Amino acid sequence: MNTLDTRPVYLTAASVFNAAGSECADLHGPLTIAQPLDFDPARLAYCVKTPRLPADVFDRKIQRGVEPQGARLLYCAGRIAPALSALNLPSQRIALMAAIPEVDGPSSCWDAVQAIGEQPDALLAQLFAHTPPLHALMMLNSSVMAHVAQALHCNGPMGGFCSQGNAGVDALIEAFHHIADGRAEAAVVVSSSPNISPALYLRENAECPVNAGPQLYGEGAAAVLLTSSAPTSGPMALRVAGFGRGYSASPERSNAVANSVIKQALSQEKLCLSDVERIVADTQDSRLMSLFAETGRVIHSSRQMTGDLGASALLTEVALTFHDDRSERAQAHYTLLLNHSRAGHWGALLLANEVMEKHA
Amino acid sequence: MSATRIVITGMGAVTGFGFEWQSMWKKMLRGEHCIRPWQPEGVEDGAFPVRYAAPVDSGLLPDYLQGHPAWQMPLEKRSRFGWVAASQAVTDSGLHLAQLREAAVLCASGAPAHMLQDMLLTFSDEPHETPAWRHLMGRVEQVNPAGSLCQSNDRLARLIADGIGCEGPVINISSACAGASQAIGNAFQMIRRGEVEVAIAGGADSVLSLDTMTALYLLGAASSEQRWGTELCRPFDRHRSGLIAGEGGAFVVLETLERALARGAIPYAEVLGFGSSLDGYKVTAPDPQGRGAALAMQTALHDAGIAPQQVDLINAHGTSTPLNDAAETLAIKAVFAEREHYRRLAISANKSQFGHLIAAAGAPEFIVTALACRHDRITPTINLHDADELCDLDYCTHQAVNRRVDVALSNSFGFGGLNTSLVLGKYREHA
Repeated sequence: MNTLDTRPVYLTAASVFNAAGSECADLHGPLTIAQPLDFDPARLAYCVKTPRLPADVFDRKIQRGVEPQGARLLYCAGRIAPALSALNLPSQRIALMAAIPEVDGPSSCWDAVQAIGEQPDALLAQLFAHTPPLHALMMLNSSVMAHVAQALHCNGPMGGFCSQGNAGVDALIEAFHHIADGRAEAAVVVSSSPNISPALYLRENAECPVNAGPQLYGEGAAAVLLTSSAPTSGPMALRVAGFGRGYSASPERSNAVANSVIKQALSQEKLCLSDVERIVADTQDSRLMSLFAETGRVIHSSRQMTGDLGASALLTEVALTFHDDRSERAQAHYTLLLNHSRAGHWGALLLANEVMEKHA
Repeated sequence: MSATRIVITGMGAVTGFGFEWQSMWKKMLRGEHCIRPWQPEGVEDGAFPVRYAAPVDSGLLPDYLQGHPAWQMPLEKRSRFGWVAASQAVTDSGLHLAQLREAAVLCASGAPAHMLQDMLLTFSDEPHETPAWRHLMGRVEQVNPAGSLCQSNDRLARLIADGIGCEGPVINISSACAGASQAIGNAFQMIRRGEVEVAIAGGADSVLSLDTMTALYLLGAASSEQRWGTELCRPFDRHRSGLIAGEGGAFVVLETLERALARGAIPYAEVLGFGSSLDGYKVTAPDPQGRGAALAMQTALHDAGIAPQQVDLINAHGTSTPLNDAAETLAIKAVFAEREHYRRLAISANKSQFGHLIAAAGAPEFIVTALACRHDRITPTINLHDADELCDLDYCTHQAVNRRVDVALSNSFGFGGLNTSLVLGKYREHA
């Protein structure tokens, strides 16, 4: 039983970047189409160009010191910086949670494999003489956390998560608890998809994913700002109302674990699935969809606009829910977001859209 | 503070000392170390500037893995070390697999080896797109063909979950050298808030490959000093020159005291609190004033409901790097300033004995801290012969110390200013 009987936690700002665009509203725009990959034209994916970092937030040198997935993450972090700044919080009360995938460059690593044995050992010295330390830094996927902490003045609790597609769930849950338990007043939650590289597909082949099938990857990032007080800018506020997570790589146990995870997420508000107006999940995931096969429920997803964004998939959907619930599109009181990684992680997040008392 | 008490009931560790925590503990108390001359595979003698490390004798791995599917899999070394350590921790806990179905697995397992080769190709118009760089990356492939391209960062976490049959949250942590401590700290918090009742937490890492050691050298973190030989790792010493990489893994089983007592388990120690923070100072260096490190310790003590004056021992991050050791000393002085309690603290730096296990570093150090609480014995900081004038605390040099340890901190500070601190206490039947 998870304890959410602590102080409430609200979404206050969100930003996205993906093939559909850099605004949440773009996810409701014209359908985007996956494109053939440079290194393998037979494969399609939703790739993006590396964004320019906001110059008023990040030092210009950082643009050259991070690889593309780090740049995407920083771009989204930078766009929620004004909302964080407006809170005027002491930096020690601002947490930073990051969902960071392993770093793969966007180019073909097979080129490097082909270079085996081309050069003599003596060239090692040349390498040391001509390689700037900044490039060595890029191997640390957590170094992007240091950039965010420095630029957004986050000195409070921290956490980096790298559990494939569930990393966003992990980051958001830990951020929630830091605020709910009083260790922070606000939490910046940042995420990025992996770079689309040959290594991504090599790993997929090597590790026999649980929910295998044709996979359309996408590149993107998302960031959200959680706070202990509701935003004052509108009549509605989106509250984190529950969560659950679990894991099974066994096809026989997967549905049982999934149902348990959903039950966990709904338990705090004492809800049944039928009480939830809106469900967001990957409609291409057959195991996930089988959970709702007999209910006739409409399942929502923006994945057809972005591809599979891995670690930033859930936060992208959270950002979209945040956007929609502040507009005329707001229809649901409860939204349940589900995540199922290709390895077998299950994650569920319940959001409650509430009318604030002064507007009620 | 919480009514739920969380205890350590199982431990497993693989380090340069061997494949069990028991032998590691005995050797550390004797003041031994496991740092040896080291060269990356595939590089001619003397060509690589880093000459010492604390490797695991991988030749012994078959004795520990035979018969297990992990031995047949194309796994990187770190995953093999991690699997051995995690399965030992579970065996040590006395828990049956059926009792672990709901357990969480939290694991820090470092960075996959394939990143550097991808990185160079990301910036194909940069100056480092040289024949030498390409050659290096080619050698990475020669050294580690199975592991470098095909394994996800979270492979070990899933290997443990699959092997043990855990269906709770399976979480892979990525926070540099603070990773394993974050894993243990998050596991503690998950149990305390009731998300799970039992967790397997820790980390495993191996950076003793050409590519990763190259990066650590280029960053100025790894020592290339030659003159001290195997006594090169000297935390808080005037002549410290950088980290000495180790490898291995360590895991603990954490559970509620109620559950542990109900099944007759005897806890090693109690976990009392966890704190984390960010320096937000520089990506390449810690805050020289140690403000982030101090905040992590203060947060952990507050979380535990422990006053600074109650602390007896700090298992320091103590990397033997010029910046860390001075900043950590300043941080300790700031947190324990009242009545100069820092003068009464015992401080121990385990990296002088088994090197720096990078993402996994906090896990064996957590185990050593738990054992100090249990046995009232403190492992020494070795090779500290000429203390830096900025490092003027009691570092328990050369020999193990017999001293009562009721409360201890275990610090881990990651690259880029990611800080964690765990508070442990001697297990007592009544809190």
